[in-house]
Amino acid sequence: MPQFGFSISQPRAVNLDTNDFVPAEKLLRELPELQSCIACGSCTATCTAGNLTSFNFRKVHTLVRRGEYREAYEQMDKCMLCGKCRLVCPRGINTRAVVMKIKRELGDYQR
Amino acid sequence: MNYYDHFVIPFVVGTAFMFAVIVWKWGRWLWKLPVADKKAIVRGVFSLDTLRAIREVVYESLLHRKIFRVNPVLGYMHMSLAFGWFLLIAVGWIEASVVLGTGTPLHAHVFFRYFDTAQHTGWNPFAFIMDLLLLMVLSGVALAWFKRMRSRALGMKRTTKHVFIDRVALTALWLIFPLRLVSESFAAAIKHNGGFLTGGLGSLIAATMDSAVIETLNSLAWWLYSFALASFFVAMPFSRYMHIFTEVPLIFLRRYRLHSTAREKSFDNFQIQACSRCGICIDPCQLQNVLNINNVQSVYFLRDRRYGKLDEKVADNCLMCGLCESRCPVGIELNTLRLNSRQKSIDTPALTRYDYLQGIDRSSGNGKVGYFAGCMTLLTPTVLRSMERIFEAAGEGVWWADRDGGSCCGRPLKLSGEVNAAERIMARNKELFAKHGITTLVTSCPICLKVFREDYNLEGIEVIHHTEYILRLVHAGRLSVEATGQEFTYHDPCELGRGSGIYEEPRELIRMAGRLVEPEHNRREALCCGSSLANLVIDDSQQSKIGSAVTSELEATGAATIVTACPLCKKALARDASVRVADISQVVAENLRVAS
Repeated sequence: MPQFGFSISQPRAVNLDTNDFVPAEKLLRELPELQSCIACGSCTATCTAGNLTSFNFRKVHTLVRRGEYREAYEQMDKCMLCGKCRLVCPRGINTRAVVMKIKRELGDYQR
Repeated sequence: MNYYDHFVIPFVVGTAFMFAVIVWKWGRWLWKLPVADKKAIVRGVFSLDTLRAIREVVYESLLHRKIFRVNPVLGYMHMSLAFGWFLLIAVGWIEASVVLGTGTPLHAHVFFRYFDTAQHTGWNPFAFIMDLLLLMVLSGVALAWFKRMRSRALGMKRTTKHVFIDRVALTALWLIFPLRLVSESFAAAIKHNGGFLTGGLGSLIAATMDSAVIETLNSLAWWLYSFALASFFVAMPFSRYMHIFTEVPLIFLRRYRLHSTAREKSFDNFQIQACSRCGICIDPCQLQNVLNINNVQSVYFLRDRRYGKLDEKVADNCLMCGLCESRCPVGIELNTLRLNSRQKSIDTPALTRYDYLQGIDRSSGNGKVGYFAGCMTLLTPTVLRSMERIFEAAGEGVWWADRDGGSCCGRPLKLSGEVNAAERIMARNKELFAKHGITTLVTSCPICLKVFREDYNLEGIEVIHHTEYILRLVHAGRLSVEATGQEFTYHDPCELGRGSGIYEEPRELIRMAGRLVEPEHNRREALCCGSSLANLVIDDSQQSKIGSAVTSELEATGAATIVTACPLCKKALARDASVRVADISQVVAENLRVAS
């Protein structure tokens, strides 16, 4: 079978009822502009780290909002904080502040 | 005992306490210095640097030349207090030694008029000089009072909001000199040993009051004077007035080439406590004058850090444009201190961080000249295309480090305080540069430029900004620019101007292409575009507010094109501009004279 570089994600279930939303809600309180995210993916399309790896800021955002912090934190370490995502964000979200908040606040979920 | 009265006790105790605290503080800071810094001090002490430092101490700690440059009246206010008080002590000391002879106790000159034993007949030059000096200091105190009411008259729109201990010390300081005047006048009423000022007031007192009343009030006035001095000296090491003495070792250590670094060290204390909280940094701050944010300026940042109350929101809320640093009369390394306080709070990278960069090499082309576009240039493709045209026109063989995507330079991480993490990226980039054997590294991004120059230690590789590079090509005759007669204005990017000292190269290039009109704030005084990567707090609307204020100032010059030399500034200014915003490389690339 020819390989085109695409793959299909493994099926998995996320049980939102068991996830702890307190940190996510805190993040939203401190950076309320995150609520205006339209998940357009501009941040991911322009990302320096995303250009070199599978890092995907839109996905990280989704993970955090769902309360799946561990993966979000691990992913976040790939970010180089260059700030391109902030410049292209059509909603003017302070993405670098989001990154810093995730690093600082969700560090406990590292392991 | 000679020259003793009970009222000297508060003064003596206060002074002893103050010097004990200062010696303890300085001793601890010096002891904790890294070995390299200690060696630098030892090397420096017996060099010309010591003499230079002494001269600087006279100019800055006594005469306050830099404050005179901010505003002459403000300069006089500080000088009359500092230099005037210094002379009062020095001349008072000489007078006491002359009259009382050697072996007089240390406090004698402070209360000299009270202990004066000489029989005065005729004019006393010392009394005249001392009165003149007292008048000079009093004029400074009067100006300080006036500044509380109308700071604008002294060139400051806003002044510092002081904490309690500062208010205590300030009140004591303001009382010292009027009380000295009163005490010496009463002494003169009894002993007739005053000059034109205290002597005159003394005669008036003697003429209007009963001698018993004068005796009582005289003793009371000297007690109050001693208490005022004591309160000031006790409060002093814990208040803003710690700067009076701390600026002196700071000047010496700076002359011995000690600097603050991206990581905290003991030397920072000298800088932090040398801040006089004069508030000169408040007015130029764009966060203050555009956004009305009034608790994050350098004066408040240093204060919070000194008292251990530094909040992340204060440390992170700074554009690090360096405007306050260029104005600071004490010359404190404000940006570096801001940076290393961020470093302290968040710098714990995983050991595998950025390992993914290993082996990634998307560079192309061959040549001794390397071109590093940087993230921001990749986001402004017109700059990249202009550089391609310029390289082609000059016939330069270029190694393109990241035209097809590459790593970040590491500066944004460093600015956010993640210095250790940034170093991991830097190591990877260094490997890449070494592998391709370049001798010159050109970058279009001043943010990258600064980190390449300051942190990379690229041996054998010269790092230059594209403005410098293009100008070199023109001077070498490899490129020529057609004059258009158009009007341009130029915005100095912070990292390029104040950050790297490049002011004239872009201007020279613009003058080749047309006429240059300067905006109100330029060169060292230039404003920040607002999109600085160093600020982690302000939101999009606030960034755009700062940006549009700068843009309208640039548009007010009437120029048809706003030119800048930083891709990030370009994007920020273009948001609200009604005229064209172009990078210097675009201006050159569009007006290349075709070789015939």
